[in-house]
Amino acid sequence: MSSIATGRAYTTTLEEVAVRYPDVPRLIILKTDVQRRGVFYSDAAVALLDERLHQTTGTHIFGSRDGVLTLRPESLLLRDGSSIITTPTPREENPYVVDLRDGTPWLFDQGIALEAVDYWPAPDFYSKTSSSGVPMKNIVSARPQRLNIFPYRYCTFWNNNKGCAFCDIVSQLKKGGKELNIPAKLDPAEVGEVIGEALKEPGRFSAVFLTSGSIISGTEAFDDEIDYYIQILQQVGKHFKARKFPSQIIGTAFTKKQLQRLYDQTGLMSYTADIEVLNEELFNQLCPGKAEWIGYREWKKRLVDAVDVFGPGRVNTGLVAGIELTKPHGFASEDEALQHTLDEAEDLARQGVGTTYIVWSPRPDTPLGDQKNASLDYYIRLARGLHALRVKYRLSINYDDYRHCGNHPDSDLSRLLTF
Amino acid sequence: MPLLTEEIRELLRNRSVPKVIATRDENDDVYAVSAPFLQLGDNGLLVHLELLEKSETNRNLLRSLWYEKGIVISVGDFVIKGRPVKAHISGPVFRQYYLQVRTILPDADLSTVWLIEPDQVIDESYAVRKQQEEEQFPFSVHLDRLTIEADNKDL
Repeated sequence: MSSIATGRAYTTTLEEVAVRYPDVPRLIILKTDVQRRGVFYSDAAVALLDERLHQTTGTHIFGSRDGVLTLRPESLLLRDGSSIITTPTPREENPYVVDLRDGTPWLFDQGIALEAVDYWPAPDFYSKTSSSGVPMKNIVSARPQRLNIFPYRYCTFWNNNKGCAFCDIVSQLKKGGKELNIPAKLDPAEVGEVIGEALKEPGRFSAVFLTSGSIISGTEAFDDEIDYYIQILQQVGKHFKARKFPSQIIGTAFTKKQLQRLYDQTGLMSYTADIEVLNEELFNQLCPGKAEWIGYREWKKRLVDAVDVFGPGRVNTGLVAGIELTKPHGFASEDEALQHTLDEAEDLARQGVGTTYIVWSPRPDTPLGDQKNASLDYYIRLARGLHALRVKYRLSINYDDYRHCGNHPDSDLSRLLTF
Repeated sequence: MPLLTEEIRELLRNRSVPKVIATRDENDDVYAVSAPFLQLGDNGLLVHLELLEKSETNRNLLRSLWYEKGIVISVGDFVIKGRPVKAHISGPVFRQYYLQVRTILPDADLSTVWLIEPDQVIDESYAVRKQQEEEQFPFSVHLDRLTIEADNKDL
């Protein structure tokens, strides 16, 4: 047994976890561990990049673990069609390595080739510029099947330094603005223009996705955020025959009145408001802006209210899994954290709200940046637990699955479900 | 000698030849369906196009890939045992087959391009199997077929 006692949890290897959870596909365990430990792209792997064929790192709203903006593969596709959203990580932190084997990219660990991977394919519109002369890929970015719109790259919770403790959106904005010439706030008409161009590519995209930092201003708090989303979604909607089109937004937890307006005036079909951590005290500590403006219990209530607007199986919340174990306020053990998180997720699930997680990747420019994320065992147990809730309450996750997001090990597990 | 002979390749190229793909569900029960878009791909792989994301076969193929379970394909007189090795949902390979499907069925979508690696080919043509059976299992033959008169009988 090569487990290393950390005082809080055990660091287990991929093989040990695969044996322990034979019901979880090895590819999902691998993906989870790659997200947990990060990746390092070798020089040869970077040299293989061809911007005409592959997506390169672009308009990230969040940063990387090594804090560097440079040309790298945007992310990876596994042979089951799922994605690994990669976080480039310094080599000394023991990440997985993407290197070449017989001229093609593979994931390596300790020099052992584990899996062949593909770089995300470049969409056709990436080579084009908008009518105002901005590279289209700086306005709308892509995942293998999703169009990403990051309309506002600032979060006003940072106005009084109450941004989330794991979040580097503002430092990333400064880097992206300076080094990549990415507009901080997008022009809705220009977004519409780029979406129109992107949709010309046959068989590429199956959803439109929006997310941005919270905007607290407005007649009622966050009205300006809602208004901005409506403007953008209306521009996007001009390209579709039907009023509603496959789409997701990750926004602030809005009031029911705001959500109804968002639903009625746009083609939006699903809604996500990330609560980040399912514990009130930790929410207050780690998400002070969200706590100040909305509060933990109200956040949950608004998620449940959203089900009335969007329908069951069309509303969920996201967790940055692992922050619930950070010091000094986090849970003392992974067992305790898991139990508490799943209990809270079940409270939401029985009211029609799904929960997904991303593996927390500690970023250097954040208050939690010097801490470590949880064990692989924990992440796999969390994925199984959230998947089991989805089954128990028959909550569809199609709008946030391996095709449309690709960043949730728990929704990867749900690929085999019939709903 | 390649696993897929020219005769099999020709059958796979011929869209009018019926093809069937059989997979296993979560209970290990067999699920067999017609596979009109089954065809020959590059590097000796078979290509199966799944039009629907939530079809039983699409989910079973994923289950096969995840848990390393075999699948079976029937084309003409041949049975091909194999394994799904890759699912394309995006990129140039996917696009190529997406356009192909849309040419044949203009309102169709395409969920997944499955690449299947053949492991074994079994010739199930009656003539071949009959000869094998009679050589290997002589006690299974009815004796009246073996009599001197048998060749002269007109049934």
